[in-house]
Amino acid sequence: MSTHTRSPLVTGLLLAPAGIFFFFLLILPLVVMLVFSFGERAPAGGYLPAFTFDNYLNLPARSKAFLNTLTLAPIGTLLTAIIAFPMAYFLAVKVPLKWRVVMLVLVMAPFWTSQLMRYYAWIMILGSKGFPAWLDWVGITDVRLLNTPTAVLIGAVYGFLPLMVPPIYVSLEKLDKRLLEASADLGATPWRTFWQITFPLALPGVATGSMLVFILLMGDYILPQYLGGGKVFFIGNALVDLFLQSRNWPYGAAVSIALVIIMFVTIFFYMRFVLGKTDQRRAALV
Amino acid sequence: MTKTPDPITAEKFLEELRRYQNGSVSRRHFLGVTGLGLATAVIAGAVPGLRPRKAHAALSGTVNFTTWPSYFAQENLDKFTADTGVKINVAVFGSNEEMLAKLQAGSTGWDVFVPTNYAISTYKELGLIEELDLKRLPNYDPTAQEQRFTAEGVINGQTYAVPKDWGTTGFVVNTKSVSAVPTSWKEFFEATQGPMTGRVMVHDYQLTTIGAALKSFGFGFNSNDEKELAEAEKLLIASKPHLFGINSDYKPSLISGDAWASVCWTGDAVQLQRDMPEMKYVLAKDGGEIWSDFYAIPKGGQNLDAAYALIDFLLTPAINAIEVKAHGYPSTDSRTNALVPKEMLENPVLYPAAEALSPLEFGAAATLTNPLRAEIMARFKSA
Amino acid sequence: MRIYAALIYIFLYAPIALIVGLSFNAGKQSMVWTGFSVEWYGKAFSNPLITEALGTSVMIASATAVLSCIFGTMAALGLERTKGWVRALFDVLIYIAIMVPGIVIGISSLITFVTIFDIVNPTLEALLNLRLQMGMWSVIATHVLFNIAVVALLVRARLQGMDRSLVEASEDLYATPMGTFRQVVLPLLAPSILAGALLAFTFSFEDFIIAFFVAGPDVTLPIYVFSAIRRGVTPEINAVGTVVLLTSLLLLLIAQWILQRGSKSA
Repeated sequence: MSTHTRSPLVTGLLLAPAGIFFFFLLILPLVVMLVFSFGERAPAGGYLPAFTFDNYLNLPARSKAFLNTLTLAPIGTLLTAIIAFPMAYFLAVKVPLKWRVVMLVLVMAPFWTSQLMRYYAWIMILGSKGFPAWLDWVGITDVRLLNTPTAVLIGAVYGFLPLMVPPIYVSLEKLDKRLLEASADLGATPWRTFWQITFPLALPGVATGSMLVFILLMGDYILPQYLGGGKVFFIGNALVDLFLQSRNWPYGAAVSIALVIIMFVTIFFYMRFVLGKTDQRRAALV
Repeated sequence: MTKTPDPITAEKFLEELRRYQNGSVSRRHFLGVTGLGLATAVIAGAVPGLRPRKAHAALSGTVNFTTWPSYFAQENLDKFTADTGVKINVAVFGSNEEMLAKLQAGSTGWDVFVPTNYAISTYKELGLIEELDLKRLPNYDPTAQEQRFTAEGVINGQTYAVPKDWGTTGFVVNTKSVSAVPTSWKEFFEATQGPMTGRVMVHDYQLTTIGAALKSFGFGFNSNDEKELAEAEKLLIASKPHLFGINSDYKPSLISGDAWASVCWTGDAVQLQRDMPEMKYVLAKDGGEIWSDFYAIPKGGQNLDAAYALIDFLLTPAINAIEVKAHGYPSTDSRTNALVPKEMLENPVLYPAAEALSPLEFGAAATLTNPLRAEIMARFKSA
Repeated sequence: MRIYAALIYIFLYAPIALIVGLSFNAGKQSMVWTGFSVEWYGKAFSNPLITEALGTSVMIASATAVLSCIFGTMAALGLERTKGWVRALFDVLIYIAIMVPGIVIGISSLITFVTIFDIVNPTLEALLNLRLQMGMWSVIATHVLFNIAVVALLVRARLQGMDRSLVEASEDLYATPMGTFRQVVLPLLAPSILAGALLAFTFSFEDFIIAFFVAGPDVTLPIYVFSAIRRGVTPEINAVGTVVLLTSLLLLLIAQWILQRGSKSA
């Protein structure tokens, strides 16, 4: 048993810096945002103190942006997870130990090239002088890839694959191979082994990676701007427009608050669903 | 050993503050006596983010220059840096609304920027731009300018902005890909939903995009009438699925062939035609925009001396002529025009005939601040 | 399986190969190939605006990494010692910090700073000829906020999995709390803290959207690249991107090598 009492002063000092940051740079700005969301647009743009619900009532004017984001973000996350999983599995299970880290680093490395440049490269690839030109050569003409939701999805998978693979890899690495052998010995097909043993154990990693990618996609601005060319409008684009072009700060604040609420609700239910499933499987295994 | 001075008492501080506020003592005295001057110097040195405003600085450092796409000659900027040692940091924007938004948010650090004629009065009202001291711009000659282009830079006799160049807004069409070239905005939008589908671009800029839609109905370019704007919005949203993109930086897409037509400014057409003679610039029969752009100095700039030096440099006729040759926008300055090659002066894109210019309108200040227009543009982009 | 992995690597690196390849383009527009040349590397690194942006990004990322590791670890340690509402509050705050999208953090910070400056600056300017404005410090502040949460989570996870008996043994042997901390707890936490530092540095160095809103007149590398793309992409940017990529790869591999050697000798 510890013979030292825990001094509340020390605890307070330990928590103070984080507390200050959280208060001044998280709570305060969100509160300011909330206050602004009830205000009015100043004549030339900006904020005019007022109290009105108009901004929230006007949210449907951006419904397409919300819809775009709420469909493409989950789909993008799902696609990324599906494509990342086999890769993570390969690295964690099939690659000899001494090569694993290097190969993992190589998966993550693209993340260190400017994301703006990587998306710009895709503009070249998906434009009419890139991939569609190759398809043209083979006879498939008039394929329009750039500035479509498809382009945005491709960009999403590309951009976030390096983020999705490591968490899944970390989960899978803990996998005890003996469980797999035992399962095979007991006559289970590889498919069944995968679904009942491998996948549930990897689920926390998938959950972490998915949450990370989902958050980034929901707030993204550059990806839909570059690969959507102004035609695929995300909430992020709406926000940049409202603060850096339309200059309707109160409405922009309302859209931001709406986005934050959507994020919390979605993630809350997602975590409950995923973690619930994990507990179920774990109970089933035991 | 010197004795540190006794700290000032509260009563003495208040007394000095009162005297300062009355004007009985100078600020220098006040700062010195209260020790605030020393404290300030120490704090300013230690705390990042507190910057003393430069009262007067020799020509050095960096000048932050905000302008439009493809709107300057790099060789001129290089020459300026070589001559003065001042680095030029160029930022590019595609609409006046974006520039205004950044300036309203503050802390831009811009030293020189390029507003369009209709925006200047708003900048002045909001207190965002400096009054220009023409004595610091010896190479600018107000009398050599075409008055219809320069008038909006002078408000109540005070110059707030000096003219850079003028131009028109029409549309450009790649004649190799499009056989029936539209002649009016009405035809432009019809062709967008027809043979040009998926290959048309419009600007991410309310003035030109909403204006074009308004003109296609025969309404005024600057109309703020709700019913007319509603019609324009309907047309834009109906066109959206047929657009390739909404972007004020449209040249790369036209060059790569992703887009066949776009709303376009004079100089961009000229630049495109150099490498792609098949690009045809059309001034719509039913109207469009005629505009002039200016150099202005925003308040809160870090390097006022360099800002004046840069503007003065770029308005020097010989240098300005190089600018015109590079970006292809006609100058408002007769001295510069005397130095521009004859082929350019006779180019109908740069200098359209009077009949082509007559349906065009200058932008109106009200469009910049009209919340309905801003919202329509945003709804169109969101659709 | 192996083919799949190979395809993925090709998918990941094809655009990068494009970027790197075009950095050797002799022409002025990246997209239009005119010939082979290495001149753009020279131009990029003699361009004072690029070197300044690079320096700014490195400074911001380093400061962010250091500050968020220190404050985040402190927070994690502090939270271990608390119960009840304080702990719950901080838990919630940490999750909020992570879940709120970067763009909202950027925008809300922007409007808060602007509002405060509008209130405070007139007095400051009149009295002291000073004005507050955004800059590197505001970027560091917002980045640190996010990364404190990340580091706190990582370290807490580690703390919770930590073998308590080592700490108790140290205390039983009459080591001071500080001694216990330095010689037992800190080394055990080191991997998490280092991981946090790496993540914080990467996040901060790569961040565009938050810096876009709160950097004021200062230019980070991503902001510079954004501006440059708007101006028209020249191979100069490609050169910068290539060098940054190679440098990070090199650093990572070196770090990996050091860690492996360290664990061998342990």
